Amino acid sequence: MVGYIFRRLLISLLTLWLLATITFFLLRLLPGNPFQTDQILTFEMQERMMNYYGLNRPIIEQYFTYMGNLLQGNMGYSLKYTNRTVNSIISKAFPVSADLGLRSLALALPIGLFLGIASARKRGKTVDYLCVIISVIGVSIPSFILGSFLQYIFALKLKILPMAQWTTEMHKVLPTVAIALGLLATLTRIMRASMLEVTTQDYVKTAKSKGLSEGKIVWSHEIRNALIPILTMMGPMVASVLMGTFVIEKIFAIPGLGLHFVNSITGLDYTMTMGLTVFFGAFLVTANFLVDIAYGIVDPRIRIAK
Amino acid sequence: MIKEFAGIPKDEFEFVGETEEKSEVLTRPSISFWKDVWRRLFKNKVAMTGLIIILAIALFSIIIPELSSYSYSQQNLRNINAAPSSEHWFGTDSLGRDLWVRTWVGARVSLAVGIFGSIIPSLIGIVIGGISGYFGGKVDMIIMRLIDIIICIPQMIYIILIMLVIGSGPVPLIIAFAITGWMGSARNVRGLILKIKQEEFVLASRILGAPHGYIIFKHLVPNTLGIVVVSMTLGVPAAIFQEAYLSFIGLGIKPPIPSWGQLANLGTSVFRIFPTQLLIPAIMISLTMLSFNLFGDGLRDALDPKLRS
Amino acid sequence: MTEKILEVKDLEFSFDTYAGEVHAIRGVSFHINRSESLAIVGESGCGKSVTVQSIMRLVPTPPGRLKGGKIFYCGKDITNCSDRQMEKLRGKEMSMIFQDPMTSLNPTMRIGRQISEGIKKHEKISPDEARKRSISLLKEVGISDPERNIIRYPHMYSGGMRQRVMIAIALACNPKILFADEPTTSLDVTTQAQILEVMNHLKQEFEMAIVLITHNLGIVARFAERISVMYAGKIVETGKTNDIFYDPRHPYTWGLLNSVPAVGKKRTEKLPTITGTPPDLFMPPKGCAFYNRCEYRMKVCKENDPPERKIGEEHYASCWLLDERAPGIKPYVVKRHAGEGSGKGVM
Repeated sequence: MVGYIFRRLLISLLTLWLLATITFFLLRLLPGNPFQTDQILTFEMQERMMNYYGLNRPIIEQYFTYMGNLLQGNMGYSLKYTNRTVNSIISKAFPVSADLGLRSLALALPIGLFLGIASARKRGKTVDYLCVIISVIGVSIPSFILGSFLQYIFALKLKILPMAQWTTEMHKVLPTVAIALGLLATLTRIMRASMLEVTTQDYVKTAKSKGLSEGKIVWSHEIRNALIPILTMMGPMVASVLMGTFVIEKIFAIPGLGLHFVNSITGLDYTMTMGLTVFFGAFLVTANFLVDIAYGIVDPRIRIAK
Repeated sequence: MIKEFAGIPKDEFEFVGETEEKSEVLTRPSISFWKDVWRRLFKNKVAMTGLIIILAIALFSIIIPELSSYSYSQQNLRNINAAPSSEHWFGTDSLGRDLWVRTWVGARVSLAVGIFGSIIPSLIGIVIGGISGYFGGKVDMIIMRLIDIIICIPQMIYIILIMLVIGSGPVPLIIAFAITGWMGSARNVRGLILKIKQEEFVLASRILGAPHGYIIFKHLVPNTLGIVVVSMTLGVPAAIFQEAYLSFIGLGIKPPIPSWGQLANLGTSVFRIFPTQLLIPAIMISLTMLSFNLFGDGLRDALDPKLRS
Repeated sequence: MTEKILEVKDLEFSFDTYAGEVHAIRGVSFHINRSESLAIVGESGCGKSVTVQSIMRLVPTPPGRLKGGKIFYCGKDITNCSDRQMEKLRGKEMSMIFQDPMTSLNPTMRIGRQISEGIKKHEKISPDEARKRSISLLKEVGISDPERNIIRYPHMYSGGMRQRVMIAIALACNPKILFADEPTTSLDVTTQAQILEVMNHLKQEFEMAIVLITHNLGIVARFAERISVMYAGKIVETGKTNDIFYDPRHPYTWGLLNSVPAVGKKRTEKLPTITGTPPDLFMPPKGCAFYNRCEYRMKVCKENDPPERKIGEEHYASCWLLDERAPGIKPYVVKRHAGEGSGKGVM
């Protein structure tokens, strides 16, 4: 088990390093001068900025400075909000996005798993068909479109929920649902397939031959094993929730990291984009690492693998 | 003597020779694997519906822009945000461009990006995965470790970074997909090849002395082909989604070249007042993704030998 | 003690597939007494697994379906008892071990728990007691160092060990019957012998009846007291082991006995097999199912399914050759030495 954890840790660190490096070089390749955006700076001012950011130095030197800074957690200043560091923006906006993300997961996980189990057990009956329809639709409609629809129906037409922003509990409903629905659809689909696969396994027959009740078999034997493929999907699921926040925050004007990220792209705020990319990368790598550990705990076979 | 059978005459108890056939006639004619796959696919109404919708949309995307008198970039600032009418079947957008044409030209772009954005990374993945799986050993280990590392970051982040550098548009988008999207397919193909290499029929073939090329073409390819085609099909809605997403955040396809994602993006800003401008591209995206998903699922079910009836 | 533990009468079981109804079991009757060992022998597809699994209701019922017949456990009719009553019987009164030990154990659950689970269901027992029982059960089946093994997972064991664990699970509540569904088929020969040894020892120790399903006549000779030969969903001959081996009366049984490789046989001699394949159970034949492959078939066999006839004490067979009107044939001679004549000829 320790060996397994160590391996995953190593890979995680390598990934982070790779991402930071790629980000660095890619953004250096960007055409033009990062300071040529909307501000009209004098030549001297540009020179001073370049010096400050070390953009005149040879690339290798810049790279090490950059990496050094990163390791200290310093991600520089935003080009747009010139007197704010990227870090400060992150620390303000991250809790908002985290809140949104966690709520979506908390909504989607129990419902999705439950529906998946129910639809597998009552295969071919109405519940199953409904779940299959919901999951197929949920997977085919992108979250931002769904978000707009929800806004239209519940905020504009029915006027029962607020349109945008993130202040009260009521405000938080629509954005959460918008992200959760897509996730739920995927979860239901996977859980259903997984349960169907598990039910035909031999050990289920063994369990039955012991005289265990149906409920006990489903709970102790089937669900436990069916959850394993779901666990392997948790990493990508967290990633997709993250991606979902980008667009949902834009639609609902939520002051989270996603909004900042999208704006930094259109506003050409490169340090911000870079900083956020590295931050997201670190976040996801950590999340993946935790999922790997959880997976190792749940499935004992993995601990010896490779 | 048992009473019920007392009536059988003694001459029935004579030996019959060995003239009659000894084994059962196979009661069902055996069909080749591929014919069976087609048969099952065609019988699957849901999948066929998906296919028809896809073909219809593709057809429309080719024909309709040719028939229209408007071009996709033609602006008419005197008739902006018009509702659907007999002149503009889908209405106009905020710059007076005809949305009917823009939707179908957008269809071309989105479909092309979706299809190439799925096929090209798949092909790259097949080659890399194939090499990795077939040759095994150190090569395999290095490639797989690399993939393990790269894949921790979601593809979208890489695409965003790449597109910041190479710019936007259909071709850069496909390039970005190609660079970042081959990993999944490589892993799958490699896994498949490793599995098949172990299968007994391959071993049998090698014992009988078949050369590498024969094994590859007669055994490896037919068994991987189906799964590869399924994943390519299911990769299209993913690519369409990614294009829509990127265009939505301002990176994918920039005006005036339309794409469904871009139309959706433009539509959301006026959604509250002119909902059709978002509804139409939204429906097109969802419908197309759904159809590919249904068809891909049907394809996958048709190829699953366990379901063979 | 000839207390009848299980009696099966005219069991009929079918599968409803979309190609039609498969008549997997077409009228099977047998019984087993306390502490007895019965072997059900037949080739793949003859329905032996389905028979015992349907007794314990382990066959998924769609598409399976009990068509007819009766099952009596210790004299009580359990054919139509409720599912809850069946649950009470399973594990406690009758249990089963399966063919593939690799897939028959839950990979994510510790072995100890898989054993004690069954105990906890049927008996009120403290966790500590359950643990002690599990440890002693592992000892019984010959697994060394049971205290450490209790917390291990199945994938850490070899096939033979896993099968022992399966036996421990099956024995946990001292059932009166153990159904062993091809328990040694996926094991190597040495392990096979060990597992049979374990089963034999436990049978005597716990006075348990064992129904052994196998297609391997070789292991049956030492293990079983009685044998039932099954073909195409029916039992064609049944009798004490000695009778089956030394005085078999059904042509299929002769075929089976002939095809067991004999030690000392000349290497250049072809191994005799029964040519042909079993009939399709979608449309079972009207007459004897073995008709197509039988060397001794008669006109009557094609249209008429032979009834069961008594040959001796506890020895029965279903074949028209046993009818008074059939021509006589030379008795079957057991091949004791290589080169000796086998089979029968017409007198």
